[in-house]
Amino acid sequence: MLLNAVIIILREVLEAALIVSVFLALSQLLNRKLWWMLIAMVMGFAGAYVYAINLSQISMALEGTGQEVLNASLHSLIFICLLIFMISVPHQARPGWRRLNLFTIVLAVIIAIVREGSEIILYIKGFYGIPELLHPVLIGGAVGAGIGLSVGVFFYYLLVNMHKRSGIWLGYLMLLLVGGSMIAQAVEFMIQADYISASAPLWDSSHLVSERSAIGQLLYALLGYEATPAPQQAAAYFGSIALLVIAACVSFFFRSKSS
Amino acid sequence: MKARFFLWLLLVLSSTVAAGPPVIEIEIKDHLFYPDEVRIPADTKVKLLVKNLDPTAEEFESYELNREKVIAGNSEVIIFIGPLSAGEYPFFGEFFPKTAQGRVIVE
Amino acid sequence: MKSIRLFLLLALLATITLVNFVALLHGYQSSMEKAQSLFDSRLESTARLIAAANSENAVQQTIAEQQTPYTYFQIWDSGGKQLLTRSRNAPELMPGELSEGFHEINHASYRWRNFIYRDQHLNRWIVVAERSDVRYSLAEEVVLESLLPIVLAIPVAALIIWLAVGVGLKPLRQFADQVRHKRVDDLSPITLEHVPHELTSVVSNTNALLGRLEDAFQREQRFASDAAHELRTPISVLKVHLHNLRKRLGDEDEDISLLKTGIERMGHLIEQILALYRSSPDQASVQFEHVDLTKLAQQVIADEFMTIEQKQQHISLEGETAMIEGNRFALETLLHNLLSNAHKYSPSGSDIRVSVAQKAHRVELTVEDSGPGIPASEYERVFERFYRLQGDRHDSGELGCGLGLTIVKHIADLHQADIQLGTSSIGQGLSVKIIFQQEEPH
Repeated sequence: MLLNAVIIILREVLEAALIVSVFLALSQLLNRKLWWMLIAMVMGFAGAYVYAINLSQISMALEGTGQEVLNASLHSLIFICLLIFMISVPHQARPGWRRLNLFTIVLAVIIAIVREGSEIILYIKGFYGIPELLHPVLIGGAVGAGIGLSVGVFFYYLLVNMHKRSGIWLGYLMLLLVGGSMIAQAVEFMIQADYISASAPLWDSSHLVSERSAIGQLLYALLGYEATPAPQQAAAYFGSIALLVIAACVSFFFRSKSS
Repeated sequence: MKARFFLWLLLVLSSTVAAGPPVIEIEIKDHLFYPDEVRIPADTKVKLLVKNLDPTAEEFESYELNREKVIAGNSEVIIFIGPLSAGEYPFFGEFFPKTAQGRVIVE
Repeated sequence: MKSIRLFLLLALLATITLVNFVALLHGYQSSMEKAQSLFDSRLESTARLIAAANSENAVQQTIAEQQTPYTYFQIWDSGGKQLLTRSRNAPELMPGELSEGFHEINHASYRWRNFIYRDQHLNRWIVVAERSDVRYSLAEEVVLESLLPIVLAIPVAALIIWLAVGVGLKPLRQFADQVRHKRVDDLSPITLEHVPHELTSVVSNTNALLGRLEDAFQREQRFASDAAHELRTPISVLKVHLHNLRKRLGDEDEDISLLKTGIERMGHLIEQILALYRSSPDQASVQFEHVDLTKLAQQVIADEFMTIEQKQQHISLEGETAMIEGNRFALETLLHNLLSNAHKYSPSGSDIRVSVAQKAHRVELTVEDSGPGIPASEYERVFERFYRLQGDRHDSGELGCGLGLTIVKHIADLHQADIQLGTSSIGQGLSVKIIFQQEEPH
């Protein structure tokens, strides 16, 4: 039970911690107030709780595909936040853009925590009635959360203490990967809910890096790694990254022109 | 005329029913999948109806099938899988992976 | 990075947590694998043992004596059609397919790992099974035992790291404290109890810089006061010559009165420059003493009384004994400058009010006049060097060089006092309030 709890909590915490730490570091690098992040985290956990207690109703909605549709929407929303964030960064000087930029950060952090936090809450809640299992689960959860948060802390300090320019670039790069992984997961949920019909996997790299292995899990959290992706997923992944890059470049280009 | 229309309606209805993917029921009880082995034909889409009879939540997960879905305690969900090529596709309950194990055999 | 201490705490804790838990996870996984293969080989040998012990190949009763609830066995005939014998808790059904090797099945609300063994000798199948969860619980217990101290140790480690980093950063904090609490005029070197290797160059460079700064200040001060001092003599000589010239040519000559104004202005400028350098807050050699501000004001008013009387201005002083720490000469200059400003820029017959008020931990000196005052928008600029209200078209026709309030500001800074400009309570003139902080009684 213990190792299992470690891995489940670690997976969820790692994903959320990466997004939150990158945004936290970028906020710091872009001279943003950090208390917004605290508010976002509290709201995220509140949202996660609401999601968790309403899970069965959500699942049964839309002919049993409510969960997939909601998750796909959450992932897409994070992607949209990233897109607007990327577009608005070059226009920092204007207060309207600046507010929009802050709003996207806060919203993305809230959604990321709702999505990952709800699974943690559901998982832990299941053990309330089973005291002999609750103990190892809580310890395992603490270990998993500890590892996940430590990675987050590392990323945060890595980005903040890097040369400011390279810190922003690395932060951007990570946001691109997060964006790609979000859309790929959204597509996966739409396939699962049969809104998009699946085709045969584009490749099978499970013999190279299995998704079960620790490296596979880490790559999944970092890059959205899939050993056997559907072609639609891969297309969505690379397409969304390209869209982010193009949007950021166009926005940057217009800023240079107007100023 | 009326009879023909009725027949036509019946045909349409039956064809839509027939067009829907086959449903396979899996139950989760005491953190175990029943059945723990599901056989499905190759290159066919299948609808899994997973009923969680335990009070605890469970997450149906399969790396090979690229599926993950949380099932709250005492509730049921629908998961579409396939079309798949022949082979063995293990799945497990992420919350109780030591016991909740199963596999889809495509033949 | 906001705080080195916080950064070190978080970075070190994160490292400890990561390294510990990754190592632990790895250990857990490999020991689980080891245990698994051990359990498997035990299961296999149990199957062979049962085969050897059950030499009869006929249908038997269920074996009632159950060893443990965690294991069971079945013996099937060659076709897998008939269950020959089984332990009491074993299922009566076939465990899926009969093929030699390890399999996992569900039975009696548990997951079981079974080993199916084909007994070649008696042509039958032997199935031995063990509950999966029991296998994990042992390894889990071991890991839990080793994990708990680590989980509990992390807050302790955090506390120790916090304290250790605090101790490690002590020289830096001392250094920062000394720099922060240095008086503006104190250029003496910084001394630390123990100078760690990392700070030696910082401390020695800072001290060298302070030394050079002190030399530079002394040179500048000496130069300025020497120059001004040297200029005093020729001015006095000029005054003597002017006096002689006036005696010879008489007072009516316009050129001579212009010359007289010029020489007076130059003399005033030199005196003010001297005062400016003596009162500069960077001054290293200012001696502080107990000064009664009211008494000093009385004395300065007495000095200036003749000049004030000439313009038929009325001056008043209110206040009781108010002791502050200050430099007597500088404070005198400050009062002189404030009084002479009030005197110069107020019309004849106006009022000048000086008050010294003792407040809690501070003394407020206020000089008010009933002149035209200064617009609030000019408050900032009047302290600039050589700045005069309305520029050179100053309509007061008074002698001035625009250094008076600059000197006042310097002296106030030297005493760490605040200046507030405002409208006076008499008429609409200027009110200058200087707030001296009194040191708390020890």
